[in-house]
Amino acid sequence: MKILSCYSIKGGVGKTALAVNLAFALGEAGHRTLLLDLDPQGAASFYFRVDGADKFRMRDKQSLAEGLRRNIRESDYPGLDVVPSHLGYRHFDILLDGMSKRRSQLRRVLEEFKADYDVILIDCPPNITLLSENVFRASDAILVPVIPTVLSRRTLEQLAGFFKDQDLPAKLLRPFFSMVQKRSKMHREIMEELPAEQAGFLKTAIPFSADVEKMGLHRMPLLAYARACEAAKAYRALCQEILSESGL
Amino acid sequence: MLTFWDSFEWGIWFGGHLLYSCGGVYRLASRDHAEGWLGTVSCEERALGRRRFWEEFQSEPMRAKLEGMLGLRGLAPVAEGTFRLRRCDLRNQAGKIVCRLEWTAVCAGAKGEEQLLHSCRVLPLLGYEAEAARVAQYLSGQGASAPEDEPVRVLLRRAGRLPREYTLRPAFGLEMETPAREAVGRIVRKMLEIAQGNMPGILDDLDSEFLHDYRICLRKMRSVLSLVKEVYPAEGTRRMRDALGDLARQTNRLRDLDVYLLARGHYLGLLPPALRPALDEMFRDFSAEREKEVRRTASKLRGASNRRLFLELTEFFAKQTPHGPAPAADLPVGPLVYRAIYKRYRKIRSIAAGIGEDTPDETVHQLRIEGKKLRYLMEFFVELLPDKEGGAMQKVLRRLQGRLGDFNDASVQQKSLLDYWRRKRSGSELGLGLGGLVSILYQNQMQARSLIARELEGFCDPSTAAAFKRIFKLPASAPATDGQRTGRP
Ligand SMILES: Nc1ncnc2c1ncn2[C@@H]1O[C@H](COP(=O)(O)OP(=O)(O)O)[C@@H](O)[C@H]1O
Ligand SMILES: [Mg+2]
Repeated sequence: MKILSCYSIKGGVGKTALAVNLAFALGEAGHRTLLLDLDPQGAASFYFRVDGADKFRMRDKQSLAEGLRRNIRESDYPGLDVVPSHLGYRHFDILLDGMSKRRSQLRRVLEEFKADYDVILIDCPPNITLLSENVFRASDAILVPVIPTVLSRRTLEQLAGFFKDQDLPAKLLRPFFSMVQKRSKMHREIMEELPAEQAGFLKTAIPFSADVEKMGLHRMPLLAYARACEAAKAYRALCQEILSESGL
Repeated sequence: MLTFWDSFEWGIWFGGHLLYSCGGVYRLASRDHAEGWLGTVSCEERALGRRRFWEEFQSEPMRAKLEGMLGLRGLAPVAEGTFRLRRCDLRNQAGKIVCRLEWTAVCAGAKGEEQLLHSCRVLPLLGYEAEAARVAQYLSGQGASAPEDEPVRVLLRRAGRLPREYTLRPAFGLEMETPAREAVGRIVRKMLEIAQGNMPGILDDLDSEFLHDYRICLRKMRSVLSLVKEVYPAEGTRRMRDALGDLARQTNRLRDLDVYLLARGHYLGLLPPALRPALDEMFRDFSAEREKEVRRTASKLRGASNRRLFLELTEFFAKQTPHGPAPAADLPVGPLVYRAIYKRYRKIRSIAAGIGEDTPDETVHQLRIEGKKLRYLMEFFVELLPDKEGGAMQKVLRRLQGRLGDFNDASVQQKSLLDYWRRKRSGSELGLGLGGLVSILYQNQMQARSLIARELEGFCDPSTAAAFKRIFKLPASAPATDGQRTGRP
C-alpha cells in the first residue's frame, strides 16, 4: 500500500482538484483507493457529495483507526472510497502529539488499512501544523501543485527549507505545475527554470481549464463528466506518471 | 437465451461456478453473486460448436478451471432460460448514490415467454447501510418478499434438474444391530438405484464415467452377496449373482476400449516420439470398434431381456418381498461384518507372507482380489467402523490397492495389446510401436511389484495386525460363529 498526499503551503493552487481526479483515475485503473479528506473545509468531500464524517473519539491509535474505518463511504465510482472531512481532525494535532514524540504515528494508523487498499490519498489543508508534519512522515510521496508564478517559487523554497530544518527527506517532495497557461510568457519561463532549481519535478503539467472550475457545479470529478478534455487527459497522464514512479 | 451446462456429478455447481453459453460464447462464472445472479465471470471463450470435455476448450484459464471441476466428465445442458437484468441507482438529496437496485427477470422458454421469477436485489454501498435497510423495508412494505431461491436455481428446478451430491459410496444408515438381510437389502437397493441413474448417460454416451460407475455398482452388489453370506436363500442368491454377472459382462468390451482410449496420452508419452505415429492405427481401430460397441451395448441395455433382469433384481431385493429362511438373515450385521473383515485381513496377511521376487503373477492377482473384498467390506460398512482407526485402515488399504492395481493394469494391458497384435498381424510399423509399449508396460509391472512389497510391509506389520485384531476379533461368545457357518445363539 502506498500513501500519497496532496500538499502546498498555499491555498487555491489545485490540491483538491488533484486529489479528487487522481483518486478517480487510480480507482478506474483498478487500484483500490481510499481518499482521506483531512481538510476541515471539506472540498473533496463536497465534490464526492458525501456528508461530513460522524463524530468519533480519537483517544489513541486504535480508536482513531476504528473511527476512520467507521466513516468510510463508498463513492459513486469504481474502486474508490472516501473518508469525509471532519472538524475534529483539527484535534488530530493534539492527539498525534500526545501519542508519542515520534511523528510517524499517522503512518501506523493508516497501515491498518493495508489489506483493503492499494493507495491512500490524502488531501491536506494548506498550513504547516503537527498534522501536516505527520502526513509528511507518513507519505511515500508528497504531490505539490505549483502555479508557475514568482510567488509560488518562494513558497516552494519555503517548503523545501522546512523539510531541511525538520530533517525530512527532500526526495519525498514531488512538485508539478498546475493551472498552467501556455500563452503566459511568465508561466513558460518559470517552467523552464524551476525544475532545474528544485529536484523531483514531475513531468506532467495540468493546464488551466474552465472545465476544471466547473467541478463545483457538477459536484463530480472532472474525469467523470469531461473525460476527453485536455485537463482530464493531463490528470490521467499524471496518474500514470505517479504510478510508474511509485512502483505500483 | 442462456444455456447452462454441467456434468452428471454437478462438478461445476459444486465447484462454486456456473457455466453458461449464449450466442456461441461460453462463460464460466463463480457463483458468488458479487456481480449479480449470474456470478462474476472468470473466463470466457468463443466456441463454434458444442463443447463436451475440458480438453475441447482452448484458453488456458478455462481449461485449468474446468479440468479441476470436470475431470473425465462430459458437459450436458441442464437448463435454459433468459435473464433480464436492470440496474438503477438511488440517490440522496445531495445526488450521492446511496443504494443500488438490481432487477432480474428470469424467464423460461425459447422466447422467454414464461416468467418464473421477478426479483430485486438491494445492493448497499459501504457506509450507507442504513439507507439500504430503509429501501429494503420499503420494498417489503410494498409486498416484496425475500426470494426463496436464487434465479438460477429456479430455472434448474423448473427443468427438474436440481444439483444433488453424487457418490458411489453413499451412507446406508446401518447400525451394528441391523439384521443382516435388512442391511444387505439396503445396500443392494441403493446401488441398484445408482446403477440405473447412470443408464441414460451410457445410452447417450456422454462420457466414459457412466459405464465405469454402472459397472462398479453391479460389482459391488454382486460382492456384497458373497461377503455377507446366507442372508437370502441360497438358490435366489445364486440367481441374483448370475444376473449381476451377466449384466456386467455385456459391457466388458466397451469398458476395455474406453480404458485404452483414455490411456492414449499416457501410452504415447511412454514411447519415444519417433515411435508414436506407429500407434495411430491401433487407436483408429479402437475408436472405430468403440463406435460399434457403444451402439451394440446401448441396444442390449435397452433390450427386453435386460429390462427383465433389472425387474427381477428390483423385485427380489424390494423391502416387502417375502423370502424363505436363511441362516444369517436375522443376525445382527455388525458381528458378521467384523468377522468377515478380520478373516479377510488374515487371509491377505497369509498370502502376503509368501510374496517374494519369484512369486507367480497369479498370487499377486489373488492378493488384489482379496484386498478388493476387504475394501468393499470396509466401504459398505464404514458406518460400523470406529471413526479414527477405520479411516486410517482404509487409507493403508487404499495405498496397497493402488499399487496392486498398477501391477494388474500393466499386466492386463500387455496381454491384450499382444492379443490385438496377434489378431491384426499388420505392418511392421505397428509392431514396432506395440513392442516398445509392451516392454515399457512390463517394466512398469515389475516396478509396481517391488513397490507392492513395500506397501505390504506397512499393511502387515505387527502394529496394523494388532489394531485389526483389537478392533475386529470378537470374543468367541458373540452371537455368530463364523461368516461361513452361522447358528443362532
Ligand atoms: N487546472 C485548473 N484550471 C482551472 N481552475 C482550476 C484548476 N485547478 C483548480 N482550479 C480551481 O481553482 C480553485 C482552487 O482549486 P483547489 O483544487 O480547490 O485548490 P486547493 O485545494 O489547493 O485550495 C477551485 O475553484 C478549482 O476549481
Ligand atoms: Mg483544498
